[in-house]
Amino acid sequence: MRRKASLILLALAVFCTALSPLLRFYAFPRLAKIPAERYQTMVLEAKPATLLDYGTMRAKKVSKVTIVQTLRGNVEASERIEESAGRDVVVWDGLSYVQGPDGKMVSKLPERYIFDAHTQEPVHATGEMVDGDPVKRQGIEFKWPFLTEKRAYEYFDAQTRTSAPIHYKGTRDFRGLEVYYFEQTIPWTKVPFPKVMPVEGITPEFVAGTGTTRWYSTVRKFWVEPVTGAPVYGEEIHKEELRGGTLLGDRDKVTAFAGHVKMREDYIRSTVDLVKSQRLLVLLFTTYLPWGLPLVGAGLLSLSLYLEARGRRPGDPEQSAVAEPEPVNA
Amino acid sequence: MRALIAAAIGLAAAFALVLTVTALGSPSGRTSPEPLLTTVPAHP
Repeated sequence: MRRKASLILLALAVFCTALSPLLRFYAFPRLAKIPAERYQTMVLEAKPATLLDYGTMRAKKVSKVTIVQTLRGNVEASERIEESAGRDVVVWDGLSYVQGPDGKMVSKLPERYIFDAHTQEPVHATGEMVDGDPVKRQGIEFKWPFLTEKRAYEYFDAQTRTSAPIHYKGTRDFRGLEVYYFEQTIPWTKVPFPKVMPVEGITPEFVAGTGTTRWYSTVRKFWVEPVTGAPVYGEEIHKEELRGGTLLGDRDKVTAFAGHVKMREDYIRSTVDLVKSQRLLVLLFTTYLPWGLPLVGAGLLSLSLYLEARGRRPGDPEQSAVAEPEPVNA
Repeated sequence: MRALIAAAIGLAAAFALVLTVTALGSPSGRTSPEPLLTTVPAHP
């Protein structure tokens, strides 16, 4: 009986020990992925902000500008791309909708972001775009890879349609979570006018025809939880100017939008809660099980060896009952 | 010999479990019917 138990324990010990590297290095990279159907919204606010009054073509201070950002996973599009790409793909249809204090639209920027569900590497396919313009992203956008490293990443900027490094600037504590702080500065760059202008009847072609150009600069800040790669907080010091052309009269430039944009408190709380729960799942595969299972395996092996040794002891009643012959009575 | 067989069974079971779980993967969902927002959600 002890022999049998020790063999079962040995099998379990090998099972646990083998499971550890298999989970970490085989299962985790295949199972950890961004779900294709994810839908999420985010609200950011700049209080106060500067906006262009298109009536007077002069900048004015406003109490608040709100940015509503939606990301919607397009499952049908991702399945179509997966067939040719041969890997798990996520397609995010996004919209950054900027609204003034009166509730009127200031600008809107639709985009389609296609990326590898496991690594966050960009995948190039038909339909990848920003505001209707086809783009080929390099690097990441919105989210960092699982197990984020303390290094710079290429981060895609939708306004300029280019990627630039976003630098790791240190480890911080954010509401009880250890996070990596990243910062990217986009210097003043000429960018296209949005396809939909805030004033009815004015088209980007009309504005461009006046010789006026649109310029943009930003400092982008992200606090990223490194296990999940999810930003738990973000800020942007965003500036836009119109420069030159007959539209501005005798002025060289006018501010179109300026503000320090920060995540709204209720969204910070829900993001932190979500990331905390997802973090546990990732840690289960990367730390808790890979380190815990070998310990369990070692314990089971010790118990197995102990039972085996007990089973082989000469004085043991179970052993002697089998080994010693019954006395024969005449 | 029996110990070797037991160890082999444990190893095979570990491989079988991991390969099955990764092959099954996660079920793919559906695109959310929720719209891309053009209004600001109210503060709770």
